[in-house]
Amino acid sequence: MMNKLNEIPEKNPFKVPDNYFEEVNRKIITAASGIDREVLKVSVYNRFKTSFLIAASVAGLILITYTTIKLLSPVKVNSPVSEVLHEISPDSYLNDIDLSSLEENASSLVLSEEVPDVSKKDIIDYLLNENVEINDIYAQL
Amino acid sequence: MKLNTIRPDDNISELLKTDLNKGFQLLVEKYSQKLYWHIRRLVILHEDADDALQNTFINAWKSIGNFRSESSLYTWLYTIATNEALALINKRKRNAAVSIDDLESYFASSHEGSIWFDGDEAQLKLQNAILQLPEKQRIVFNLKYFDEMTYNDMSKVLKTSEGALKASYHHAVKKIEKIILSD
Repeated sequence: MMNKLNEIPEKNPFKVPDNYFEEVNRKIITAASGIDREVLKVSVYNRFKTSFLIAASVAGLILITYTTIKLLSPVKVNSPVSEVLHEISPDSYLNDIDLSSLEENASSLVLSEEVPDVSKKDIIDYLLNENVEINDIYAQL
Repeated sequence: MKLNTIRPDDNISELLKTDLNKGFQLLVEKYSQKLYWHIRRLVILHEDADDALQNTFINAWKSIGNFRSESSLYTWLYTIATNEALALINKRKRNAAVSIDDLESYFASSHEGSIWFDGDEAQLKLQNAILQLPEKQRIVFNLKYFDEMTYNDMSKVLKTSEGALKASYHHAVKKIEKIILSD
């Protein structure tokens, strides 16, 4: 009766199909070459994972802070910023004007000695239409 | 069956740095048989060993870009292979009615059967005795007895101290001899 390991013959009792290792090696190498690109993407992300997370956190904090400040601060009526925004809005009539032709007309007016014949009444009407205070108009005229 | 322990191969490590595809090809050719037999002794069935071996190399390929240490290529692969084999065993435990503690009944319960086993009575006894060991002891016994892995390398594969591995192997041998004697 056997009672020691070293009495058991050293033989591998397991078998594999013929040419198994050649085939499995080929299968593994083919499979690995198919996932090359995916692996690179994953490894680049993993390598910079911490940096990505820090950058995203900082960006998130900045966005939250900015939004909070904007929401809590009082809105100024007729502020210069709102005028500018109005002028460059997509609906602004200025968008329809060709800038080069505007420059030509403006330069001709500046260089011209001729002053357009506009009455005081027309000027006052125009300024009133533009919501300028009547007292200011009289002060200027 | 005694297998010579594979030492780290500097050529493969160097090739992996310069030509990843060629280096990986060499790695597969060099280690596939060793890893297959290691996995096979744990999972028993050929089709399971085949699956686990392919998963081992695919996982190795996925993380080979991050592999830096030249000296532990061999132990690194054995760690992946062991984990793949254990994952497969756990999957089988959850799904199968028969557990792997008796070779003949396990073969009988499988689709594959015993077609890829041709051990004699002594080999059958030894394999059955090994199957009755606790999981960790079984791995330690296989790595030492069949693969002749050093305790130093084994401690890297199993993340266990050399002293604990020596004790584990000693207990495993005693248990196996006791089981063989009692049959």
